[in-house]
Amino acid sequence: MASLNLLPLAIDLVLALTLLWLAWRALSSPDLFRAVVLFIALGLVLGLVWVRLDAVDIALAEIALGAGVTGALLLAALAKLQSAEAETADASTEQEGDWQGCSQALAEPDAKSKPTLTASATMDATGSAMPIALRILLALLLLVPLAGLGWVVWQLWLPAPGLTDLVAARLEASGVAHPVTAVLLNFRGYDTLLELAVLLLALLGVWSLSSAPHLGDEEQEPALAALSRLLAPLMILVAAYLVWVGAHAPGGAFQAGSVLGAAGVLLRLSGWRVPPRATGWPLRLVLVLGVVVFACMGLVVMAFGQPLLGYPPGWAKPALLAIELAATLSIGAILAALFIGGRP
Amino acid sequence: MPMPLSGAEWAAALVFVPLLAALACFLVPRAANWLGLLAATLILFATLGLVRGLLGDGPLRVAVGAWAAPLGIDLVADGLSAVLLLMTALVGLGVSAFAPAYFAEHSEQRRWFWPLWLLLWTALNGLYLAADLFNLYVMLELLGLSAAALTALSGSATALNAAMRYLFVSLLGSAAYLLGVALLYHGYGTVDMVLLGERLEAGAVASAALLAMVAGLLLKTALWPFHFWLAPAHGSAPAPVSALLSALVIKASFYLLLRLWLALFSGLAGLLPTLLPELLGLLGAAAILWGSVQALRQRRLKLLIAYSTVAQVGYLFLAFPLTGVQAGEIAWRAVLYLALAHGLAKAAMFLSAGGLLRFAGHDRIADLDRAAQRLPLTLTAFVLGGVSIMGLPPSGGFIGKWLLLEAAFTQGRWGLALVVLVGGILAAGYVFKVIGYAFTATKIAQEGEAVPLAMQWSALLLAFGAILLGFAAPWFWPLLEVGAPFAAPLAEIGTEAIAEVGAVSEAAP
Amino acid sequence: MTSVLVFALAGVGLIVLGFYALLVQRHLLRKVLAFNVISSGIFLLLAGLARRAPGAEPDPVPQAMVLTGIVVAVAATALALAMIQALRAATGRTWLGDDGDEE
Repeated sequence: MASLNLLPLAIDLVLALTLLWLAWRALSSPDLFRAVVLFIALGLVLGLVWVRLDAVDIALAEIALGAGVTGALLLAALAKLQSAEAETADASTEQEGDWQGCSQALAEPDAKSKPTLTASATMDATGSAMPIALRILLALLLLVPLAGLGWVVWQLWLPAPGLTDLVAARLEASGVAHPVTAVLLNFRGYDTLLELAVLLLALLGVWSLSSAPHLGDEEQEPALAALSRLLAPLMILVAAYLVWVGAHAPGGAFQAGSVLGAAGVLLRLSGWRVPPRATGWPLRLVLVLGVVVFACMGLVVMAFGQPLLGYPPGWAKPALLAIELAATLSIGAILAALFIGGRP
Repeated sequence: MPMPLSGAEWAAALVFVPLLAALACFLVPRAANWLGLLAATLILFATLGLVRGLLGDGPLRVAVGAWAAPLGIDLVADGLSAVLLLMTALVGLGVSAFAPAYFAEHSEQRRWFWPLWLLLWTALNGLYLAADLFNLYVMLELLGLSAAALTALSGSATALNAAMRYLFVSLLGSAAYLLGVALLYHGYGTVDMVLLGERLEAGAVASAALLAMVAGLLLKTALWPFHFWLAPAHGSAPAPVSALLSALVIKASFYLLLRLWLALFSGLAGLLPTLLPELLGLLGAAAILWGSVQALRQRRLKLLIAYSTVAQVGYLFLAFPLTGVQAGEIAWRAVLYLALAHGLAKAAMFLSAGGLLRFAGHDRIADLDRAAQRLPLTLTAFVLGGVSIMGLPPSGGFIGKWLLLEAAFTQGRWGLALVVLVGGILAAGYVFKVIGYAFTATKIAQEGEAVPLAMQWSALLLAFGAILLGFAAPWFWPLLEVGAPFAAPLAEIGTEAIAEVGAVSEAAP
Repeated sequence: MTSVLVFALAGVGLIVLGFYALLVQRHLLRKVLAFNVISSGIFLLLAGLARRAPGAEPDPVPQAMVLTGIVVAVAATALALAMIQALRAATGRTWLGDDGDEE
């Protein structure tokens, strides 16, 4: 009996230690590419942890967004930074660091010894600007919050009243059968609306910085193109399934949106372009659609004597479905646009 | 006379008008100037509607959706939120009137300014109306990301560097705040501020949450020694953005800190809640002295104004050690008045700096070359703003400092009173330094460019506002009394009315 | 139930580790990684403890909050990465400079 109870605990301990080890390696690796790859691995292990914690929604989101989208964004940014680095290296004659040397330096952890490093690559390798004594002091100081937070978590271990029962009691009226989706879209829909606005805001910020070059303008590989054309429709189907399933099981707009975004990125990489006619306001309309539909639904109900974002009985289900579809479309478009970077 | 809209509808308008206007500006960039000004006018109108409702019906508490807290999210408005909403609406309208002329020469910046600024406004209004700690987190992130993006708008190397640092500071601050929210939720099973106020007990969980949230919000409010990011960010952003950052954005995190303190933590027993106010007061005093001296040393106008903000933030924290005992309410009123006056005055000063920058092409203080004679409206705006910052009568800053001194004297806190006075003298020093150079001619006469009247008048009207605030005190106290935010915990606002959808509750007897 | 505690404590570890790296590391991309590690730690704490009650369903409210948090973190990461690239293009640096050194 005891051994049966101990086995899951052992698995969890190993998972937790893997998390910490991966995080440490990702944050301390002298090689940036390696650090990003380790970070993506961290996201995948976190996905496993969420499954262990019965949080399948979060697991899906963590793998799609936390590991997938964030990882893709990090890799794209790293590629652009490195190609910029290579250009500077080519331009300056006294620095003999060439393309190869640079990319090698970033691909191999032991590249510190190589003489062919650009100035900034050397900075990467040293990593920190702080003297070692200060770092040790900081690490010692941080033991205080570590111990303190650990102690608080220990205190919190006793079960406290959550909102599980309340959510279950009102689930019927929410318009969806899956508790997490009900909280996300109905009970705390106001948060979700604003979170969509945050995502859109990030894109506005990225576009306002403008100078970022387009990605995917290089020649496409025929194999990739063929594969993408095959995969993209499949991914759109998966996205549609995820929206639909979100009503009664883990899934929903954000996970579906990230799959849709990935499909967009793949299509883009395979050479497909948004037609120039559509890059103006039609594209912008798709980007804002999620927030617009969500906000307008929330306001329109007020005209019928309902509170803000309060759907009349019986109308919740179609309203939430419309919001989810619009949000999925916008999230997909925004994520793809964030990855591509430059303005159309 | 019946109200055209209920309080709940005014509150909804305050969040949704800027949000939808931001989207409209993004969709139709050509109409952005008009859309932005229209939105700013509507928001001021909605704020006045809400204020009227509050004065008539007492504090507002309304559920979003058909679900009251703890399941759903509630919006609340009392005197404290109303005053800050009013400040945001006034400064926002002033900056919105200034912006079209300022960005006329940078159409690319204008295109992004409007949607980013209106999203920032959404976050500000949403933050002042929120009663839900997690909703406040989302608002904080919306605020931080839009503020960082706005800081980077000019695209200069200095601005990008400052914006980058600002973004990290902002993210770290929000993360610390979220950590506190997580601990509170698991300790007490709700993120609604009212319910938490009823349930919270002194202990490890409350202390850790308090520490994490206070640290995160102090970082965002730039209280000394967390001020390191402020001057470069506020100094290198485009002038209208600097005005927004200095006048409004840091007030939002201060408001949240104040709200959390009043609603949740001030009543707790224990070592931490007793020591924290003293510590905050001490840091505030340090901020006043250090920021003022730095401002005196600056050679560029916008940096001088930015360091003045570092000092003025200090005043906001002087009230914490003054409120433990009787007559504490005076100190809170003083601080609120100072925040309000600083918002109007600092916006006026940054906007006049923007005018001077347009006029001279630079903002080196020593080369202002008779700007006072050649640009009298803009200089008047700067001086009037400076009068309020110094705390001279009859400005709003004077009323605030007077009340703060009164609170300090009645409690025998002579040290704090001395800091208030010295801070005023130092402020006079840096304001007069600018005025002096603006009246004298440089050796080589400088050409000046024409400054559009909209830029000059918007700054001047805001500065008038800061002065007029000195006369508005009798009108202000009844508004501040609504819901008695400083006397009773938020929990006493008509809890029976929560379930009633869209109801405007009565003040608790 | 003990595993919940294990993961919550791992979350605390991630928060402190990420905070250390955020302060110590100089390259901005590493700071972005550090921020994401901090966020993950907080999410683990927030939604991990939702699984405390024995046998019962996990509390969906913190789970929904974490979903919101993940999206916000992605948005922040995207903006930060774009800003790093813009800073790199303007200054040639991928770390924060002293204030005003561009003047």
